[in-house]
Order: sequence, then C-alpha cells, then structure tokens
Amino acid sequence: MRILGLLAAMAGLIVLPLISSGYVVYLANLLLTFTVLCLGMHIVIGEAGQFSLAQAAFYGIGIYTSGLANTAFGWPLPLSVLASGLVAALVGLCIGTLALRMRDIYLALATFAFGEAMQWVFLSWTPVTGGPNGLRIPPASLLGFEIVNDRQAYPVVLAITILMIWATVVIARSRLGRAFRAVRESEVAALAMGVSVQTTKLAAFALSAFFAGVAGAMFAIYSTYIHPDSLGFQTTILVLTMVVVGGLGSFSGAIGGAIVFGLISELLRQAPSYQEIIYGLILIVFMMFAPRGLFAFIGDNLKRFARA
Amino acid sequence: MDLQLALLFLQQGVASGLVVGSVYALLALAIVIIFKTSEVPNFAQGEMLMAAGYVALYLLVFRALPAWASISMTIVVAFAGAALFRRVVLTQVAHASGSPVNLVIATLGLSYVLKGLVRQTGFGDTPRSFPALVSTDSLMIGQASVTRLDLAILGTAIIVMAAFFWMFGYTKLGRAMRSVGMNPKAAQLVGVNLNRIHTIIWGLSGAISAIAALLISPKLLMTADMGSVVTLGFAAAIVGGFASLPGAVVGGFIIGIVEQLVGLFVSSRAITLAPFLAIMLVLILRPQGLFGGRVVIKKV
Repeated sequence: MRILGLLAAMAGLIVLPLISSGYVVYLANLLLTFTVLCLGMHIVIGEAGQFSLAQAAFYGIGIYTSGLANTAFGWPLPLSVLASGLVAALVGLCIGTLALRMRDIYLALATFAFGEAMQWVFLSWTPVTGGPNGLRIPPASLLGFEIVNDRQAYPVVLAITILMIWATVVIARSRLGRAFRAVRESEVAALAMGVSVQTTKLAAFALSAFFAGVAGAMFAIYSTYIHPDSLGFQTTILVLTMVVVGGLGSFSGAIGGAIVFGLISELLRQAPSYQEIIYGLILIVFMMFAPRGLFAFIGDNLKRFARA
Repeated sequence: MDLQLALLFLQQGVASGLVVGSVYALLALAIVIIFKTSEVPNFAQGEMLMAAGYVALYLLVFRALPAWASISMTIVVAFAGAALFRRVVLTQVAHASGSPVNLVIATLGLSYVLKGLVRQTGFGDTPRSFPALVSTDSLMIGQASVTRLDLAILGTAIIVMAAFFWMFGYTKLGRAMRSVGMNPKAAQLVGVNLNRIHTIIWGLSGAISAIAALLISPKLLMTADMGSVVTLGFAAAIVGGFASLPGAVVGGFIIGIVEQLVGLFVSSRAITLAPFLAIMLVLILRPQGLFGGRVVIKKV
C-alpha cells in the first residue's frame, strides 16, 4: 500500500511539468525548496530537540553563495550547490560551537540575534548581495546546458530534493540519528549511554544549516531575483509553522507540512495582513491541541471515530 | 579623532546609554523572571511590550484619557493579558506534550498574533509618535546633554526595579517565587501553589514590559515591529548569565552603553549588529555571563 502510494507520488511528480502551466511548475519548485528547508528544521528541532531560529539566514547564505559561485567563479551547478550547503554549515558550526557551550537555550537566542544581524549584512554588503536593490541571479548551467526557466529547473530541483530526503532517512537510521533522539529524550540518559551530547547537538545544528544552504542553492536555480526582505525572521517562522503543522519529530510530517502549508501560505499571499495572525494562531493552537501535527491528529480522530 | 571630542562622545554615550539601558534592563528582568521559574525563554516579550505601547497610545491619544488613567490601565491590561496567556494557553500546551520546545513555539506564536493584531487595528500601518508626558528640555550633565524625559525614564526604571527586588527578596510572594525557581517539587510540598505563582510571574513580566513600553515609546517612532528591541533585552539577559536578576539589570545597562558608544564611535548603522556581537563576545569570553554560576544538569 505504502509502496504503491510512493510510486504514484513519484509518477505524479515526474509528469507534472509536462501537463501543467508555468505557475504550477514554479509553485512545485518552491514547495520542493520548502521541503528541504523543513527537513533541515526537522533534524534540529524534531530529531535533536534543539532550537535554530536562523533557518532564513542560512537559506540566504546558500542563495548568495550559489549566486557568487555562479557569477564570480563560474562553478558548475553540483559544485555550487555543495558549496552553498558547506558554507552555511561552516557558519553554523562557528555559532553553534560557541552557543552550545552553556545552556541549550543559548542556541535559540544566538541564532535569533544572528538572523537579525545577517539580514542587516544582506542589506548592507552591496558588492555581493546587491544591497537594498536585491540581486539578479544569473541562470545556472548544468553540463553546458543553461537553465533559463522553471520547467527546465524542475528536474534538477526534484533530483536534489529526493537526494536530501534520502540523506535525511539515512541520517535518521544511523548511529547519529539515534544519538539525536537520545539527546532529545534525555540528555542524562544519553550521556550515560556514551553519547557525546555537545557534539551531537552541534552536528544536528550544522546539518540543519547545511540543508538550509542547499535549499538556498535550489532557490537560486529557478529564481532570477532575491531581495533581503524575504530572508527575515518571517521566513524562519514560516518554516517552523510548516514543521509544526506536519508534526514535530515526524519525518513524513515535515514533508507533508511543507507541501500542505506551502500551498496554504501561497493562498494567504492574497491577504498579507492576516498572514501573521494566522501563522501565530496555528503555532499556538497546534501546540495546545495537536502537538504531533495535523496528520497524527486526523489519524487519531479517525481511529476514535471508527471505534465509536 | 582628538581627545576632546572622544571625551565628549564618551560622556554622551554613557549618559544616553544609561537611559536606554534602564529600559533594556527592565526588559531583561521581565525575560529572566519567566526563564528562572519555568525554563522558557519568552520570545513574545518584545511583542508584549509593543502591544502594551499601542494600548497606551490608544487610551492616551485616541480616547484622550488622563495620563494616570492610561498608564495604570495599560499596566493592568498587560498584567492580565500575560497572566491569561500563561493560565489558558501554556497550561494546555504543557498538558498536551510537556516538551519545553513546545512552550517556546507557543510564545513565538503569541509574538506573531500580537504583531498581526496591532497591524489589523490599523494603528500599526504608519509609524506613530508617542506623546512625551515629561518635558523634553535638555540639561547638561558634565558635557553630556540629556533631557528631563531621559532623567524621568532612568528614575522610573530604577524605582520599578527597586520595588521588584524588594518584592522578590523580602515578601512571602517573592519567597514563593524564588522557591519555585530553585525546586518546583519541593516548593509544592511546602504548600506553594505552582499554577498561581507561574500566573503571577507571567503577569508581573507583562506589567514590567508595559512599563518599559511606556518609557521607551516617546524616544522612538512606534511601529508594529518595535518589538525587535527584545533582541537587546535577550542580549542583556545573556550578559548577566540569564538566570540572575541583578545580572539582567547590570547587563541591560552594559548593553545600553555599548550600543550608544558603538553608535557614536563607529556608525549608527552598526547598532543593528550590537546585540549579536555582544552575545557572541560574552559566549566567547565568559559563557556563564557576568553573574551566572555554573549550570548544573538537572537529574532525571
């Protein structure tokens, strides 16, 4: 049943650009990007129980790194995607090493302040980021073939997404993934089992930064323009809301949340003034009544309904 | 830069730093009392301040109520709102999962709801200026120029902090709060009502944010985003070690002075980076903060 569903989803994703309009393809690219961002958030919050509030900043670092690698160095696409992830992870490693020395919560506070500081850097470092004018992103090229529109970018974006989903599964099943969950459940117990708590937290944080950096590179593939305004705390909250809607700690929830709430947020674009209230209410209401996410909530209630 | 000018800048920076720092100190205090008793960093603290500022603006300007009435009503509203959030929302969140991460997410949710609500009312659409209740004539202290308003801000902040420290240190309620911070289970055993204490602490934290809002609002243009001042409150709390109340106060003054000096000596645009740099510097040089002791891992 599950395999069948997966195959159907794959088939749908592959034929999608052949049958749909340009806007739908653009939306699909965007949702896939958000999926990777959510996977990053899922690793740090859902798996390891740590807080990173700078996803948007790492996403931005990924976008600009990729733009720079493309224009200034003329690197091929796979290399610039990898570089985007690594630069973001490296920056994350520096902040994480310092922030995780004391209290857990310092990571949340340091990343919160870092996000604000980075937005200022994006706005002010004109030679690299274009400053307040934003940056035109030149088309990426893969094997000598230029990617000029959403339709051409789609297969590449899809391939990267699948690769990142696979990586998430591999990490979750590895020793490191088990260490993440051990640290989340009880640091003392994890320590007693020989898990190095500090290193594990740091690894989760750096990995989430890597995912956000790669997501940035994905955005740079199909997008032609980026402005620092869209790299603020708002974007971090959007990603957090997606993960919360999908269910904290659930891998499929992170993907489902990205797609379901990605579509909702695209609809909410029509009513920007309600956006903040709706995001905020979703965060509060889910934490109050459905901390395991929308899908688990529906599943639980269906079971109860079936029994009655 | 010659010595004369540097001295002038230094005096001016310290004077204005003490004034804004007193507001950051209040904000840090409001953050730390919640963190100390429930291990939750309240990310909505800045928006609580912002919302309280708009309530005061509404009462004072749009309803034309007298100042004393507007001020006391604002503080009461902030106390009630924060206490209600703790009592209704956070109790349910803790009941639903118990993971501290979920409580933090709920406070992030509150910050967005408050911001969105203020925008919805229409007050938040354009920057507004809050009327100064004290004259803004300037005085010279040494070579630094400060206004009467500045002195009133500093004075009020110090009185509020003194009152809070007296309450926390010398009353039965304060003792109950301290005991909850040290060991909630033991506190409960000797008859402290945890729920009541947590609710009062949230209320007090809201009230202190409201006072901070009343003090800072005349000094800046009010927008729905003015809650971002909370980053400086967090920075102040980290400088002080995050679990120390005197630390939060001293941290507030340090952050205020550093911010003003950076503005005068480096550039006013670099001020945005000040909180992040201050946090990182503290984490590098003295990660336990100026007043923090060792952090002990809680036993299971």
